[in-house]
Amino acid sequence: MKPSFLLKSLAAASIVAVGALASSAAWAVKVGPVEDPIRVVKIPKGAPIVIATYHVISGADTALGLDTQRGAVVAADDLGNTLVGHPIKFMHEDDGCNAEGGQTAATKIAANQQVVAALGGACSSATRPAAPILWKAGIPDVATAASSPVLTAPDRGPSYDGLVRIVYNDLWAGREVANWAYKVRGYKKAATIHDGSPYAEKLVRVFQENFKKLGGEVVSDEAVAPNDTDMRPVLTKIATAKPDFIYAPTFVGVTSYLIRQKKEIPGLEKVALVGSDASMGAQLMEASGKDLLGFEISTTAMEPEAQGPGYKAMREKYKKLFGEYPIQGFHGNGYDAMMLVANAIKKVAVTEKDGTTYIPIKALRDAMFATKNMQGVTGKITCDQYGDCGVYNFAIYQYTNPDPKTLEPGKNPKRIYPEKF
Amino acid sequence: MSFEIIASSFQHKDIEQSQLRRTLKCGAIGGGTVVALCVFGLINQFMERWIIENLLSLAHAAFIGITLTVGALIAIRSPKLSPAARIFQGFLVGMVSGVFLSILILIMATFDIRNMFVSLSPKLLMFLSYGFDPYTACAVTIIVGGVLGLIGAAIRESPPWLRKPLITGLATAFFIGLFAELLQLAMQYETVDPIRDYMFTWEGQTLTGAITMFVLGFVLSLFWVMRGKQVMANHRAKSHASQRSIRYFLYAIAIVLFLLFPMAAGSFFGQVLMLVGLYVLMGMGLNLEVGLAGLLDLGFVAFFATGAYTIALFTADNEHLILLIDRPLTWWEALPLAMFASLMMGLAFGIPVLKVRGDYLAVATMGLGEIIRVVVLSDMASPLLGGSQGLLHIPRPWIGDFELNDPIHLFYLTLISSIIAAYFAWALENSRLGRAWMAIREDEDVGQALGINLVNVKLLAYGLGAWFAGLAGAIFAVMLGSIFPHSFQLLISINILALIIVGGIGSLPGVVVGALMLIGTPELLREFGEYRFLAYGFVLIVMMRVKPLGLWPSAVRKRELAAAAEAEAQMRATSGQKA
Amino acid sequence: MNLERLKQVTYVDVTLWLMRAIIILLVIAGTIGTVIKDRYTTEQWVSMVMFGLTIGGIYALIALGYTMVYGILRLINFAHGDIFMTGAFTAYFVAAPLAKSGFLDEYLIVGMIIISLVAMTVCSCIALIVERICYRPFRSVRSLAPLICAIGASFFLQHAFRGMYGSSVRAYPDVKFFDTVVSIMGFNFPRIQFVVVIAALAAMYTLYLIVNKTKMGTAMRAVSEDRDAAALMGIDVNKVIIFTFILGGSMAGIGGVLYAFVFKQVYFFMGFFPGIKAFSAAVLGGIGNVPGAMLGGFFLGVVESLGPALFLDGLGIVAPYQLRDLIAFTMLVMVLIFRPQGILGERLARQRA
Repeated sequence: MKPSFLLKSLAAASIVAVGALASSAAWAVKVGPVEDPIRVVKIPKGAPIVIATYHVISGADTALGLDTQRGAVVAADDLGNTLVGHPIKFMHEDDGCNAEGGQTAATKIAANQQVVAALGGACSSATRPAAPILWKAGIPDVATAASSPVLTAPDRGPSYDGLVRIVYNDLWAGREVANWAYKVRGYKKAATIHDGSPYAEKLVRVFQENFKKLGGEVVSDEAVAPNDTDMRPVLTKIATAKPDFIYAPTFVGVTSYLIRQKKEIPGLEKVALVGSDASMGAQLMEASGKDLLGFEISTTAMEPEAQGPGYKAMREKYKKLFGEYPIQGFHGNGYDAMMLVANAIKKVAVTEKDGTTYIPIKALRDAMFATKNMQGVTGKITCDQYGDCGVYNFAIYQYTNPDPKTLEPGKNPKRIYPEKF
Repeated sequence: MSFEIIASSFQHKDIEQSQLRRTLKCGAIGGGTVVALCVFGLINQFMERWIIENLLSLAHAAFIGITLTVGALIAIRSPKLSPAARIFQGFLVGMVSGVFLSILILIMATFDIRNMFVSLSPKLLMFLSYGFDPYTACAVTIIVGGVLGLIGAAIRESPPWLRKPLITGLATAFFIGLFAELLQLAMQYETVDPIRDYMFTWEGQTLTGAITMFVLGFVLSLFWVMRGKQVMANHRAKSHASQRSIRYFLYAIAIVLFLLFPMAAGSFFGQVLMLVGLYVLMGMGLNLEVGLAGLLDLGFVAFFATGAYTIALFTADNEHLILLIDRPLTWWEALPLAMFASLMMGLAFGIPVLKVRGDYLAVATMGLGEIIRVVVLSDMASPLLGGSQGLLHIPRPWIGDFELNDPIHLFYLTLISSIIAAYFAWALENSRLGRAWMAIREDEDVGQALGINLVNVKLLAYGLGAWFAGLAGAIFAVMLGSIFPHSFQLLISINILALIIVGGIGSLPGVVVGALMLIGTPELLREFGEYRFLAYGFVLIVMMRVKPLGLWPSAVRKRELAAAAEAEAQMRATSGQKA
Repeated sequence: MNLERLKQVTYVDVTLWLMRAIIILLVIAGTIGTVIKDRYTTEQWVSMVMFGLTIGGIYALIALGYTMVYGILRLINFAHGDIFMTGAFTAYFVAAPLAKSGFLDEYLIVGMIIISLVAMTVCSCIALIVERICYRPFRSVRSLAPLICAIGASFFLQHAFRGMYGSSVRAYPDVKFFDTVVSIMGFNFPRIQFVVVIAALAAMYTLYLIVNKTKMGTAMRAVSEDRDAAALMGIDVNKVIIFTFILGGSMAGIGGVLYAFVFKQVYFFMGFFPGIKAFSAAVLGGIGNVPGAMLGGFFLGVVESLGPALFLDGLGIVAPYQLRDLIAFTMLVMVLIFRPQGILGERLARQRA
């Protein structure tokens, strides 16, 4: 047992050493002409400006992360792949849409002191541990599709000071759907389904709360597993409750099974099914076939009138770069996240005569938070003091043609609410 | 070892094959691999990755490496030919490989098959044909393939003093290039800035860096080839005692380097090593169950989850907090609770499956593991466990006034836990209980006849195994600061089982090696996203084929299997049957 | 010693009996609760059973692959779920053009046979490759190496096919004939459900004939009984094993096509969960036992489909359908507590352990 004792004492000694190191470490605050309380990134002439991304690019949710990541790449392409005179280089990491993946990806990004800012993640569970790690290393982060309210809640704490979020939060979306369903459509009895994802569950909960507050009744509160393929039993149960409509903000797989199998259940033929932008895109159209007709989704408005003129051009560029049209609903968020960071960098970067650029991070973070009326492809973006930069243009769309090739937000799916912006 | 017997029987058959068939076969291996890399979409990713900046991409390196290898392979497999003929064989094999790739190029150029094979993009075609028209491209591909095959065979045929340094040099340059980004992450100090700038840019390795690395590898290897024997002989000439002290000295240096490595290399390596550490902990636990007691368990993640959730429930300041005293417990206070909870969970698992054996056990435990996961995620349990929103705000542990909040701190915590746990595992293995486990692993009925209390012994295996996982879960919870049910998938159970078997079942050092191999390496290849798992699967297959006993098998196991294989061989020899 | 053991056994037995009693009580309470609530009509109950039989038939077809390989090699083919995926995924590229050209609607039976043949061929080939790489080298070694190797093959297949055919979902075409409703005894069902159950039964009956009436089948049974003795009697064990993998692959292929026509979408990860369920079904029925796998498959399918409504709903549990896997696996564990060797399994369980 001698060796292991030796090991133990060695390890203990090292811990103490680490502690000493950590407490003595302090960032240099003045680099070149710039001073910053956090850190300054120095980019020599010709060197790239490194932007990290972390999204889910493996496993079952690949499409979600890949779509967002590609949005950022399209944005960089629109900038001519240069920013303040330096080429843009991406460092794409995979967060696996889970907490430990987000943490590992963030730690890797944080270890690279050349990284100016990070984009991601697409999942709240990955973003939650990642953002504090990034900010501790002086890297501001733009959450692209992580919509959990806690990320931009007033009590989120100083470790999230570096995080802004480009997507709406669930509190808003759930409330809007409830309002629309009760007031506009006049639905009194709602059924809800979620797939156990934090996103869908939170939306459903917020929706229920608001719907009840308005005077509606939630007659059936159901859930399925994300890998379920057979929705008939759960739909049968919902049918027995005779709802006016079904709210299912689930992801593509579950949603398409719901769409296809709903028609087989007696009593549900006429009941509306409303999804969310988690299932938006060509994938759902491919997977649902002709039963898609009439399916409605609740989302932020995503057509030229609401989003500004950029979206269509972006879609075409996406196709040119990746050989297919957007595969999910969050590419616009990726695009705008990149643009937000780029605009902030342009504001604060200082380039010397010799071509060296200095980027003060605290100033960059403040510039990001100060974003006002930025015209993005998802709409006009304004950030609040807690970093919520989501675009809140609620709309309901309805599919008019099941052919994936006809996907064109505004025409198919067609906006049915509101009629005018 | 039966695997070798089979392998040697293949070789035996191989010699009897005609030379033509052998050539075609080797060529098909090379060509097939290259085409598969294209079709699976790996080349699309490899194209983007420079081994040597703006000169040699990983895709090029893969093509070259594969063709060189098959060239060398045919040279090895044609022992009857003269050296010159063997080198010519290399040329032929390289050409055959080239033909495979050419066919792919022609198909891609003629038909639009991207609807089916999404990876065969125009960009890939451009890359494969170097901007030539398809027919020229085919000719070039075949000729280049032939030349590379020839070089491969030639390297194989060259004398050892040239061959070994050459291979080492190339490999050094390649791996430095492959891990350029990670190495740079580890070199974030001003003092090594000049070296870093000389070797790398953020895009990859510089040409000068690659040449330097090649020369370095070449020279070191050359030195070893020239002088290695003598050094070893000198070493052996020394007295036994001094040999041993040198060995201990080297071990000590290795250990110190390992301990200091994460501190020097930064948080990311700390984080990766910490994940490895967690899997080592779980691996040691599962090793008690599977390795020693022979109880196959595919639901191990449930114990891990129990540990993590216990910590979260007792320490995290949120609405799910369970108050035992007037304040939330600290991590240190909750730790024994977490381990105890896992132990109880282990017993709860063990009781229903006591009478279930073998593969039935694997399925039963998998079912139990899934039950736990489904319950944790469900709306039914969410008032208690938070459901899919997870449990947030788990505080970090403190030592006095010092908060362990960096991955490196937590790595050392994991390391110390692992060492303590390893001591327990070692002690258990050599205890009366450990021997009882091994006895029932071999034969339950005989074990029972020998007076082993099957029920107690089995339940102890589950409980103690779960205890280790609970410890790992407790660290996992503070590592993340918030836990979600999606972190506890069946995949984790599978990973742990895979790592203890790849490491060598029943062997403690094997667990460490297996975890480094199966958890550490994929983390380092994070940027390849989805293809990590392709590589993971491939590595599992190759490891099992090459080292069916694992990388570091336990001595007992090795002896047993050798004896079994011998008996088998004897039986086969007498019966003359090909089974 | 004896007395002590008796004492020990009792506390475990008591726990086990308690567990059984609690679960049975819960099941009864749930059922009574559901009956009292009277939420579902008879038609809905019947259609739920029919859903269960449909998915159960597919489970059974996959489970056959597990069980036959186990019977011969005493090894679990962990990659079998993904073998199931390869066939269905590849056959999409035949089914889509066939449907587009109108051939499938016109000559449904020929079209289905072509699609199934493609799937069966692909599955059999992949199964053979898996056998060659992961099983043959380890045939005479008692270790977990082939299990890990097959797990590796499973990962490899998934991600190789993802890289090859893409990560997006492909939708099987709609066939008019399948989409119509058929009514039997006053109950309406989508026709596809009948097609699946009948096709699955037909495939299993064919398999049963092959195993029991042909020479190869006899050899298979001999090998699963005692491989060495069979070899000594002049049976080419190699050939039998290859034949077994082809049979298992073909069943998975048919299962894959049926699955694809029921659920209409295929993608690279589709094999994992059905694979695990089918694996459980095989164990449930008694692994190594062909009729057991069929029984286990149908049983699991029906329990999964009915369980949440029948047992959980009555207990007032929120969102019971989320707990479908809970029911399936609880049932599995329960069966194994009562009968550690599965419903129909007898001698194999003892032999292996």
